Amino acid sequence: MEAATARLGRGKRRKGKSYGSEERRLAALLLTPAMAVIALVAAYPIAYAIWLSLTEYSVRVPGKWRFVGFDNFTEAFGSTEFWDSVKNTFLFTGVSVTLELVIGLGMALAMHEAFRGRGVLRTVVLVPWAVLTVVSAITWRTLFEPNLGLAPVILGKIGIGGDIVWLGQEGYSMAVMILADVWKTAPFMALLLLAGLQVIPDDVYDAAKVDGATTWQRFRRITLPLLMPAVLVALIFRTLDALRIFDLPYVLTGGSNGTTTLSLIAHQELTANRLIGYGSALSVLTFVIVMAVSFLYIRTVGGNIKSLAEEG
Amino acid sequence: MLTTPRLLTALATALMFAIAGCGGGGDDDSGAAPDAEKATQAKASGNVTWCIGKDTSGAFGTVIDNFNKANPKANVKLLELPEDAGEQRRLQIQRLQAKSPECDVLGMDVIWTAEYAAQSWLLDVSDFISENGDKFIKSTVDTTEYEGKNWAVPFNSNAGFIYYRTDQAKEAPKDWETLYKEAASGNGVVYQGFRYEGLTVNFLELLYSAGGSVLSEDGKQATADSQEVKDVLKFMADGIKSGAVPKAVTTYKEEESRRAFESGNATFMRNWPYAYALGKDSDIADKFDIANFPGYGGNEGAGVLGGYDLAISAYSKNPEGSLAFIEFATAADQQKLMATEASLPPTLTETYDDPAVKKAMPFAEELRTAIEQAQPRPVSPVYPQISEAIFNNVFAALQGDMSADEAASKMNEEIQKALETF
Repeated sequence: MEAATARLGRGKRRKGKSYGSEERRLAALLLTPAMAVIALVAAYPIAYAIWLSLTEYSVRVPGKWRFVGFDNFTEAFGSTEFWDSVKNTFLFTGVSVTLELVIGLGMALAMHEAFRGRGVLRTVVLVPWAVLTVVSAITWRTLFEPNLGLAPVILGKIGIGGDIVWLGQEGYSMAVMILADVWKTAPFMALLLLAGLQVIPDDVYDAAKVDGATTWQRFRRITLPLLMPAVLVALIFRTLDALRIFDLPYVLTGGSNGTTTLSLIAHQELTANRLIGYGSALSVLTFVIVMAVSFLYIRTVGGNIKSLAEEG
Repeated sequence: MLTTPRLLTALATALMFAIAGCGGGGDDDSGAAPDAEKATQAKASGNVTWCIGKDTSGAFGTVIDNFNKANPKANVKLLELPEDAGEQRRLQIQRLQAKSPECDVLGMDVIWTAEYAAQSWLLDVSDFISENGDKFIKSTVDTTEYEGKNWAVPFNSNAGFIYYRTDQAKEAPKDWETLYKEAASGNGVVYQGFRYEGLTVNFLELLYSAGGSVLSEDGKQATADSQEVKDVLKFMADGIKSGAVPKAVTTYKEEESRRAFESGNATFMRNWPYAYALGKDSDIADKFDIANFPGYGGNEGAGVLGGYDLAISAYSKNPEGSLAFIEFATAADQQKLMATEASLPPTLTETYDDPAVKKAMPFAEELRTAIEQAQPRPVSPVYPQISEAIFNNVFAALQGDMSADEAASKMNEEIQKALETF
């Protein structure tokens, strides 16, 4: 649909005539189906969740409900569980996305070099990303199983925490969760960055070499700035994903030992406890936080992309 | 509101009499009482969908085949739900909230009865139970009850055991205190200490043995701020501190505890009967045995009841056929089949005496005792929240994040709050 719209619009412009409002009307008309679908699958559920978050449904009397205003939100703000989960979610997001960026960048730079078997490597590297998170979470849980798991045994051999119950202690649990996430999504980050690297023209590097720039200078002055747009896109993708993390803590720790996240408590209240109003309020809060972070990105970082593009 | 289900139940029950061949002639317009076999064929008809957890052994399929063969006019089919009980519940509730007629017969974990019944999602089967209830082990029938009525028929049951290493302990200890003491000097005791429903069960087993409770008799008041709760919490927390219980237990569900026990990392284990057959296939096959729960503080041991009941969805389009199927699936033949082919503990008292069952489950005698002695988990429509209040605070006490007294009063407060849910 969008492709068709774009082609049509371009076609008209190519004729060199300005259709003004008529063209705009046509554009609106052509966009309507897409907009209707978006309204149906995105706007309606969001609006409905917001409405539900202002209500309370009885768990004892069938069909009974009442309007409670912002009570559900006040309750969330007054609960330590909510603030703990906010703290954990941001800690997890901050550390894991940073590590993924650094490691992913390294992987992308390595894969960008021409060498034998590069195609194979690029495919192989993506394997962790292709594994379902739940499956990889179960694998990590097994790896870190006390006494029997491979990880504690190996770590014990090299003298790291022979006595630690990795998934049973605060801090260590979060570390495993971050490790599992980095393992899975650093390749994805690498792929996005690799795409960014490939559009940087070689002659820029050649010119820099002629001018006597060192490898570090070329990386610092050419690669990084020109890669920035790709980095930012990758960051936005990963950050928003990480803020909604659910499967890892659900499988690894059940949210214990300082690994509860926003999505996890929303899920617990909505499906286990069937507190539809309160659970929806938690979902709405998660949505608001994710939105706020994306706005922040677009405001601070989106502007950068623009100016970068203009400089370019 | 209740008229329709009640009418249907009456209808269905009348049909049950006809099927059982013990009367029901008066209900028939034709006047003449049909003989039993004809009645079965005439009445058990139509499509019935059975929504229950994954048929891992294939035994559910066999029961269905047997029923369909015996009732040519009926067609039961299986809708397999995931293995995880929480997911089963979620998928059933999704259908029930949408008033979907897709599921006729629901395979319910025994802890869902109150919640489903309170929402009017089930048909009342009190008449069937009052007719047939005494054939079942009493504790299993109790799990089908909510507000004086029966909403389901016991299908399979479950209760925990103490597994012990015969090469490390001469016999199963008589009380939990001794067990922990022996565990501390031996290789430890493992149980399900992960923060989930299983921890609630493990805690309640100790608490019930200590004579405590978390909910008043009428289910309206939290009673967790008691000396028994504090004692049991302290006992459990001290178990970890003293080394009787490995720290790792807070990451253990059923399978992790089983693996720890089978790999020789524990002298004792609390687990469900399923671990028995698997243990007999492991390296410690000849080195372990099972026993019923020990006592605590001078009281007799008590377990917590697990298992599944079969209920009829209030939105079923074929309640008669559904009830006929439930009666068939919970009768002696099929219970025996479940026990021998799927190792599912029967709910009928007599099935445990069957030689074939005894052969398939060498621990049949202990199992029946365990089920008879087991008590239900708190009966309440807000059970999920109550359980969350229990396992969260027990877990905090195990981790040493809270003292036993703090955990008890927080548990009490949260259960009370759950009871006051709108």
